[in-house]
Amino acid sequence: MSTVRLASITKHFGATIAVHEFDLDVADGEFVTLLGPSGCGKTTTLRMIAGLVEPTGGRVWFDDQDVTFLPPRARNIGFVFQTPALFPHLSVADNVGFGLSVKGSKKPAIAARVEEMLAMVDLTGYGARMPAQLSGGQQQRVALARVLATDPRVLLFDEPLSALDKNLRESLKFAIRALQRRTAKTAIYVTHDQSEAFAISDRIVVMNAGRVEQIGSQTDIYLRPRTGFVAEFIGANNALRGIVSAIEPVTAADATGSDGLDGGPSAQHRLSVTSDGLTLHGRSSSAVAVGDAVVAYLRPEDLVVLDDDQVGDFRNVVDGEIERVIFEGPTAQLRVRVADREMRVDVGGSQRLTLSEGHGRVRLGFNDLNVVPAEAAAAASGTAAGAEPA
Amino acid sequence: MTTPTAGIPARRPLITARRLSDALSHAYIWTILVIFVLPFFALVGFSLTARPGESGAVTNYGYVVDTFGDNLLWSLKISGLTLLINVAVSLPAAYAIVRHTFPGKRVLFSVLTLPLYVPGAVIGISLVLTYNFTYHLTTSMWGLVLAMSLGTFPLMLTPIVVALKDLPVIFEEAAACLGATRWQTYRRIVLPLIGPGVSAGLLLCFIIVFNEYLVTLFVHPPGLTTAPLRVFNQIRTAGLAPTTAALAVTMQLISLAAVLLFFRLFGARHLKGTYLL
Amino acid sequence: MTGDTSSIAPLRPAPLAVRRSGVGVGRLRTIALLLPAILLALLFLYYPLVFIIQMSFTQGSSFLSPTGPITTLMNYALVVGRYLPNLLVTLQLALFATIVDLVFGFPFAYIFVRKVRYRTAVRALMVFPMFGALYIAFGMRFILLPGGPATPLLQALGIASTDALFSLPSVVFAMSIFTFPFMVLNIGTALGNVDPTLEEAAACLGARPWQTFRRILLPMTRAGTVAGMLTVFGWSIGTFAEPLLLGSANEQRALAWTVYQRGVVQTDYGLSTAMGVVLLGVAFVVTYLSLRYSRGALVE
Repeated sequence: MSTVRLASITKHFGATIAVHEFDLDVADGEFVTLLGPSGCGKTTTLRMIAGLVEPTGGRVWFDDQDVTFLPPRARNIGFVFQTPALFPHLSVADNVGFGLSVKGSKKPAIAARVEEMLAMVDLTGYGARMPAQLSGGQQQRVALARVLATDPRVLLFDEPLSALDKNLRESLKFAIRALQRRTAKTAIYVTHDQSEAFAISDRIVVMNAGRVEQIGSQTDIYLRPRTGFVAEFIGANNALRGIVSAIEPVTAADATGSDGLDGGPSAQHRLSVTSDGLTLHGRSSSAVAVGDAVVAYLRPEDLVVLDDDQVGDFRNVVDGEIERVIFEGPTAQLRVRVADREMRVDVGGSQRLTLSEGHGRVRLGFNDLNVVPAEAAAAASGTAAGAEPA
Repeated sequence: MTTPTAGIPARRPLITARRLSDALSHAYIWTILVIFVLPFFALVGFSLTARPGESGAVTNYGYVVDTFGDNLLWSLKISGLTLLINVAVSLPAAYAIVRHTFPGKRVLFSVLTLPLYVPGAVIGISLVLTYNFTYHLTTSMWGLVLAMSLGTFPLMLTPIVVALKDLPVIFEEAAACLGATRWQTYRRIVLPLIGPGVSAGLLLCFIIVFNEYLVTLFVHPPGLTTAPLRVFNQIRTAGLAPTTAALAVTMQLISLAAVLLFFRLFGARHLKGTYLL
Repeated sequence: MTGDTSSIAPLRPAPLAVRRSGVGVGRLRTIALLLPAILLALLFLYYPLVFIIQMSFTQGSSFLSPTGPITTLMNYALVVGRYLPNLLVTLQLALFATIVDLVFGFPFAYIFVRKVRYRTAVRALMVFPMFGALYIAFGMRFILLPGGPATPLLQALGIASTDALFSLPSVVFAMSIFTFPFMVLNIGTALGNVDPTLEEAAACLGARPWQTFRRILLPMTRAGTVAGMLTVFGWSIGTFAEPLLLGSANEQRALAWTVYQRGVVQTDYGLSTAMGVVLLGVAFVVTYLSLRYSRGALVE
């Protein structure tokens, strides 16, 4: 219904910078998630979009309208909080109809709309009940009906599922996505739960300490993290520090992915990295030169334990020694010592059983590592041993 | 090995140290509670003794209505007006104190609740000298009402502040996001939800003002005597009389009815943080 | 810097400085909301207080006389001189009432918090004293009348009923009934915050009840107890119903009544306001101390 544009949105609380010059363009009907750990500024950003917090700098636009200083009631938004926040003294029907009644709609119109909304969230017939009589999941669904009743142009979600138990979260997150698709509304969703973000978003914004780390689709963020934080926050990752030893020329086949900060394509270069005596081949989306300090990331599931005849299938092959095996059920985690460092390798299938701690030497194969400049990784890992500032 | 049975009593003794101490404890509580209500019941008894020259004891209460009826009405009227002023003053102030940010909040709250700690006689003398004698303002009912209001509005302010603090901000935020103006949010969401707190304030203020005689003695306009003041004057001039006792009993019964009504409607928890309970 | 590698030029110019909207308006609104309360307090408490402080330094009713005020310190000299007994008896009564409330109130609070289940009944009965010291005094005076209901009991104890009626003990007794709920509330709140398992732990370690009381309960409830004592004391110095109705000539010199007599009846404004100021001073010291010790402010 509306596009949302954030232009250099900033929020300072005294000396603390909660949000630093956040830029974002959300298309009409798109579902964008702000993902990050507690305190990264995602909720503050959402509340600035809603008008519950006034930004210290920057602008917020809905379509062509500058809403930066409009109070929430004038923005025509729907805000779903972490707790359902249903008005305890009003019935479910009165709660759902609240937004309409404060605008002065007539009773019959409100009643009809309430019925429609309750049907949309599968709570037909619950209109006369009081919020205290409902379960947590039902309350949150009523909250959804309540915000949809006013036909807002933007939907804002502030970790709406974090107070619910696991099974409820599973079903409700898809229900939210389905409702959003059905009503074709622009949605901005905040969560710290990576699987939730991955399950329902069109695009994800990874945030850390008030700044944007990366904006992209699920595959972009998982397979091609641009900073060390993203690489380590999303899923598990092995981090190998080293120096760029060679850069290969760009070919047409390298232009993949849509992980530019504003959604445009960007090229990935192939390069070689030396690390602890090993020469490894990888890709990078960042501009690096020979001699730069970098960190190469490798997902545990991308490492394959090889039989000798499989060696030629992979760009990189290293030898190592199994030190520990942790059986997890669907997978087993191997801790393998490779050239003086420990790497995690996830295996499935029969290898879960055939590779045990006494197995000794193994050969590991993997294709391209994802390479990130060292100072981009310094923020994540905290220790910048060997990394030089740019 | 068989279990030895010698030396183990067949049943717990009837009187254990714990039971004794429990019994004594409850007896202690009830003794003190009885002492609390003793003056009341003494007055009830006294009020039901026949006056010399009258046939029945119940005529005492008839007398109350006839002779003291005006005083009772004044008491009710003064109480009602004071409550109105207190509510009008406390509701906005409480909202500002809880929801707005400004420097010196704690100081301001202390400044506003100070009247509770000033001895009644000092309030009385200061008001009567300032407004009745110095500025020669016609002594009117409103002077008395404002004096009562000044002395008791902290008792209205405190429960409302507590109730507002207990109300999560999220309700007002949700209402704002749904399109309600500030006033709509206040009227439809905040007020109903702090209702019990406001009622606690109303109850407290009513009890204090309804039974107030001390400041009233200083500040009342001539010709306007509230019931408690009447009781006081009667005792000092006419000594103890059954009719006076009947008036005192009536006052206490009305107060008790107000308290019980409140407990029935809201329970005792909203009186927390005040000095009543 | 991470995330800054945007390769697309911004479509709009850099944002302007943010208008600080709403801040000025917000302040105005805050003041408007607080104004009635502040006005009420200012006009009807603080201004009159300033007034009587001024008056206390004038002689008699000269403040309001056509010839203008005569400044003097005589009033204060009188308060601590000729009227010292009044001041002393006021403090004495308040002190005794406080002690009685403390001694009897602490066990009451303890039992109420720890053992009583019928709380609502107790609360309902505890409101009776709050209806006013006047009725308590009235009721007690009736009970203690010679020839009244208590006479047989008193005679059995060998006390002449006139001694019982117009005496210090009966005044103190009536005063302590009125203020009892305040003491119980403060101590009860403090006790409620003490985890009962602490007492159990002490008992398991071998402590006897008195030791538990003295070494665990008393220190932990110190704030509430002191607050209760100060609240009771502060209320007690301002009362005159009990002294008047139940006291002998000595007790009837309680300052609150003297203020009325000298000020309203005899129009000796200077003297009565001086007494009022002294009462106020004592009350403020007591209030300040009790706020320091009380169970936390209501506003952050």
